[in-house]
Amino acid sequence: MKMNDEMLSSLKAIGQGGFVVHLTTVSAKAVPNTVGERFVAAFGDEHIVIADMFAQKTKVNLNENPVGIITVAHPVKGRYWAFRGPCTIIMWGEDDDYDFHGVKAGDVLREWGDWAAKEPPSEVPPDIRPPALCQRGVITLKVDDIYSWKPDELGKEIN
Amino acid sequence: MAILSPRMKGWLERFGCHIGTANKSGFPTTIVVEQATTEGDSVVSFNLTDAQVNHIKDNIQTNPYVALAPHAIASIRAAYQFKGAATLDGNKLKVDVKEIYCTKPGPEAALRLDTLPPEHVIKFEESRWRDVGPPK
Repeated sequence: MKMNDEMLSSLKAIGQGGFVVHLTTVSAKAVPNTVGERFVAAFGDEHIVIADMFAQKTKVNLNENPVGIITVAHPVKGRYWAFRGPCTIIMWGEDDDYDFHGVKAGDVLREWGDWAAKEPPSEVPPDIRPPALCQRGVITLKVDDIYSWKPDELGKEIN
Repeated sequence: MAILSPRMKGWLERFGCHIGTANKSGFPTTIVVEQATTEGDSVVSFNLTDAQVNHIKDNIQTNPYVALAPHAIASIRAAYQFKGAATLDGNKLKVDVKEIYCTKPGPEAALRLDTLPPEHVIKFEESRWRDVGPPK
């Protein structure tokens, strides 16, 4: 599913004018895991990428059950979006030609495999800034459906 | 039973949560509730809209374990994740928190906090964040 222009232009790290998101994944035993992610971007018009900074449970869950939801957390500014679809972590060392729902691993890693160098989080206050940014791959979600999480219109499809 | 710290309660109550749910097959649905209340040491409750109830009630009935992650500015300042068993009574969703994790990026990511004594959690929070809760 293609994202609209507003989504594509605002899917950026918060320091670049975008927003923080939460990523929900689910274990094989159906236990959800929901964590905040700061480094986010659109990749083409049907994929969203997030830096994998050793998100331990997320990795286990995606290995077991490759699906996720990304929800906009802050600042919302009317962007009540939830993006859901197949999700994986494209790891450093993956074959360049590995294809994940229409994107090549090599293309994703070359563009977003070293997020800290590309977009250093210089705006982050010292008490919440990670002491070291180590990235082992790129969490990649293919957008299959988009719904509004706005409480009174929850579930409304957006396109 | 997990024990929520005063800092956790403050951020949860002020900004609410993203609530991750899943059906028995592991297909996720997340809703966002922008305010919460806490009860006792471990319960977080939310007043849901009808649309929110309709969206997650099947998941809660068949798979009540949910994940909570603080919303809005709390997604940055209050890097916690809470997991527990949810019950839905009308429009009220109650979550009895069983697990608490620090999700601050870096070496303490995924550190489990509910297994620490409460006084250790408070010391941990004081050493990691400058605030003791959301701004008044």
